[in-house]
Amino acid sequence: MLNTDRDGAPPHLPASALVAAAAALFAATLYLAAQPQVLTGYVGAPRLIALTHAFTLGFVTLVYAGTLQQLPAVMFVTRLVWPRLGYATLSTLVLGAALLVGGFGAGMRPVLLAAGGTLVCLALGATLVQLVLTALTRPPRDAASRALITAVVYLFISVALGLALAAVRASPALAASLGYHTALHQYVGMFGAFLLGIGGSGQKLLSMFALSKGGPAWRLRVMAYLVHVCVVSLLIGVAGFAGSLMTWLSLAALAAAGALQVWEVAALLQRRLRRRLEAPVRRYVIAHAFLPAAGVLLLFGQRDAATAAFLLGFVGLAVSGMLVKILSFLTWTAAYAAPVSAPASRTAPHQGVPARRPSPPPLLRDLLRPELEPITTWGLAGGTVAVVLAMLGGWKLAASGAALLLAVGALAQLAQVVHIVVKVNQAHRVVPALAGGHAVQEREATS
Amino acid sequence: MTETVVTELNPAVSAAAVIEALTSVYDPELGIDVVNLGMVYAVTVAGSAISVEMTLTTPGCPLHSTIEAHVTQALLALRGAQEVDVQVVWDPPWSPLAMSDSAKRALGF
Repeated sequence: MLNTDRDGAPPHLPASALVAAAAALFAATLYLAAQPQVLTGYVGAPRLIALTHAFTLGFVTLVYAGTLQQLPAVMFVTRLVWPRLGYATLSTLVLGAALLVGGFGAGMRPVLLAAGGTLVCLALGATLVQLVLTALTRPPRDAASRALITAVVYLFISVALGLALAAVRASPALAASLGYHTALHQYVGMFGAFLLGIGGSGQKLLSMFALSKGGPAWRLRVMAYLVHVCVVSLLIGVAGFAGSLMTWLSLAALAAAGALQVWEVAALLQRRLRRRLEAPVRRYVIAHAFLPAAGVLLLFGQRDAATAAFLLGFVGLAVSGMLVKILSFLTWTAAYAAPVSAPASRTAPHQGVPARRPSPPPLLRDLLRPELEPITTWGLAGGTVAVVLAMLGGWKLAASGAALLLAVGALAQLAQVVHIVVKVNQAHRVVPALAGGHAVQEREATS
Repeated sequence: MTETVVTELNPAVSAAAVIEALTSVYDPELGIDVVNLGMVYAVTVAGSAISVEMTLTTPGCPLHSTIEAHVTQALLALRGAQEVDVQVVWDPPWSPLAMSDSAKRALGF
């Protein structure tokens, strides 16, 4: 029997990581609001690289690492081999990411980059080992679980490549022999880790939240192969063989992989049994509008704007939507999955009548402040569009607007995750156990 | 809606009361109780022992243990119930056709 409290990490552990990730995103957007001109400047500028890593490591990777404390138990229907390893890996990851972002922001300080990169590598390496050993206890056969594992492998490779880049930057001798191939680090991270991870975990989660069961998994499998093709072609190109052909091949594979992901989500939505999707799930779905947008930008040679649309729009919105859903699950489970106690005092007058009827625990959607969800969705989506416009046209007004919108969206998300945690803690103190006896219509009316 | 198979052997609690108590156990994601979702396949009451055979919407559901614990807790609160056994089965798998009309309406069918 699956028990997320026992088989995964203690729920407060991933929940803390998710709250910290939301805080990191808000901090990054505050910095951007103070320095919006970084969006219209040189894309290799240290401050923009620092902001990018605050997003990819402080937000996205931290959500990944936090979720990996629970999701494998759910997806593989088994238990984590070391449920408390997250105490070490998550704190190491946070420290390493902070050092890396600080190192970039301070003008590419080699010591900070080396220390931060090493810590992030160690944290993700340990997370990967735990994931693989967990999978070996009950090897998953479904495409979603395999895609998730592959995505974490790519995530580790991406940060290892990033560490190698830092070493190359610090050593002219290494730079001469290895070169400085940022594209490999970026592509492995963006597509191997993020696209495949969102595709794999998203297929499982979206089908659970939308009740879209029993569809074919071939699109996800082919998408995984296409991501491999993309990375291998890039590697061959970096090695000096047929460079332009390999670049073309990697981009073609990427375009096909993105199209398959959009198709997969559309298919899941088409066969869903639950017609009304909740706001965070809608945000996950809306994120996919940025995939074709990024493809079109890439087609017109706007690589930086395409990267922004992919990272902020697709990855940011998808991860943000799933963050809220997963956090509400985790906090609810932590609060209400208490072991069964002894029978309640039997004071009921008639046989078969429950002895006590305290109020039932809240539904997951009752944990959210609904007014915050559209602010998060449209703040992040609108901010992404403005970032793209600022990068395309060099417009300072668009850059300022982008920073403002992203900060508002990130603040609404942070307020939501804090509200979920606080609300569950308050409700748990008031509602000690489940009972009740409402009709379906009554529960619907209150939610 | 799928009918729950009910068996009573000298029951200390009526099966109707058991099913009524099960309507207090909700899937917190869907907001619908396990009876109206059609998850309860069978209820057996033998003396003071209650046995429930039920399913969930999907194998690997993260709420598996929670819902199972809540079912046990709701039934142990019934006067006359001394022992509760909850079996979660996957055959037959849950289907939306098993839901009550009100549950289908609530999900937007």
